[in-house]
Amino acid sequence: MDPQEATKRFYDLIWPQRAAVLRIAQILARNIHEADDLAQETMIKAFKAVDRFQPGTDAKKWLMTILRNARIDRLRILAATARDISLDQLPLEPAEASAPEGGEAVDVLENPQDVLNRFADQDIIDALQCLSEEVRWTLLLVDVEELTHDEVATILDVPVGTIKSRTHRGRAMLRRALLPMAKDRRLIRE
Amino acid sequence: MDSLDNARESDRESDMDRAIARRLAKLRTLPVDTTRLDRLLSAQLPDRAAKRGWPRIGLQPVRALAASVAILAVVGAILLSSSGGPVLASATQMAQVHEDMVAGRAPAMQVDSIAGANKALAAQWPQSPEIPNVPQDHVMACCMKSVRNKKMACVLLKSEGVPVTMTVANAADMQLPAVPTVSHNGIDYRVQSVAKLNMVMAERNGRWVCLIGELPAERLMDLAAKLQF
Repeated sequence: MDPQEATKRFYDLIWPQRAAVLRIAQILARNIHEADDLAQETMIKAFKAVDRFQPGTDAKKWLMTILRNARIDRLRILAATARDISLDQLPLEPAEASAPEGGEAVDVLENPQDVLNRFADQDIIDALQCLSEEVRWTLLLVDVEELTHDEVATILDVPVGTIKSRTHRGRAMLRRALLPMAKDRRLIRE
Repeated sequence: MDSLDNARESDRESDMDRAIARRLAKLRTLPVDTTRLDRLLSAQLPDRAAKRGWPRIGLQPVRALAASVAILAVVGAILLSSSGGPVLASATQMAQVHEDMVAGRAPAMQVDSIAGANKALAAQWPQSPEIPNVPQDHVMACCMKSVRNKKMACVLLKSEGVPVTMTVANAADMQLPAVPTVSHNGIDYRVQSVAKLNMVMAERNGRWVCLIGELPAERLMDLAAKLQF
């Protein structure tokens, strides 16, 4: 492809999605600089590969695939640097967190949406960051970006059934993480 | 009884999971500042304008063009400053407008349609910007507000049972805030929040439109997308 045409395609179709890329990177990464670096790497890779992007298809979905691969590369480097272990050895899907003692207080919730809306965005992001990488990715794409299960399965390269079970499990994990906080903050009535 | 209890428990979990999904969806409108990212990228990517295939022209015409643009910019700036120029309505000011409307603290006229609101406002302020129509939402009241002498027509609606204030002004009179842009259905919105209130602002058809309410920003943008100009 002609370099001018490729640059035009990049700025017209891909560039407007950089805020979405940065937002996801911020939720994935532990600090703002790491997120900026990850988003930067994603956009640079997208620029280099823009001739493979099909105009008329979903630019955000395409970028999410690049972001996902860039993130995996970074995790591999981090893992290798830190302890010289492969990503396969990392606990990508650890066992679910155990329920709080005495069971969940779901039955005391009058309006779960209202309770959740009282949490600051950062609280929700902190809770997301406690989830495994794969479950977090699934919730980010399914619930935050509202992509279909099929689209997320393509991006994460797993069967649709896995996406459905991860979504269910991830929401349950968040529920278990947020309910005790809601109780501590007296957001729910016993 | 056990199976009934289990079913109830399952229903409650489903309600909670749906609520979690909706709360996560709100993160999609999380404002992000791309300034640093843009700076990092501009150092590594080719310049957007330079690569758009601008025709090669001689240096002298470029200088002449640049000089003309500069003169026009100065003249424009003088004209703008003499006419007051566009003003910025802060998020706090807009939240106050909404709260006053909802609490009945603003002297408003009771209306039941956008047409009624336009008629009532135009009767008192002939220069009032026309409020776009909102299909299927209940219109309750309207009033006129001003920010540094720039008029804003305000109308209180009920959307999904939640009060929403729509303010409309001439686009030339208002400045959009320097906050991150969220693109929704092909329209760029500036999204801000003050406490529980979300607000989305956009320029459309020569008008500056702001929707404010306790709905998620996504829903406000859905509502804005339905406006009929």
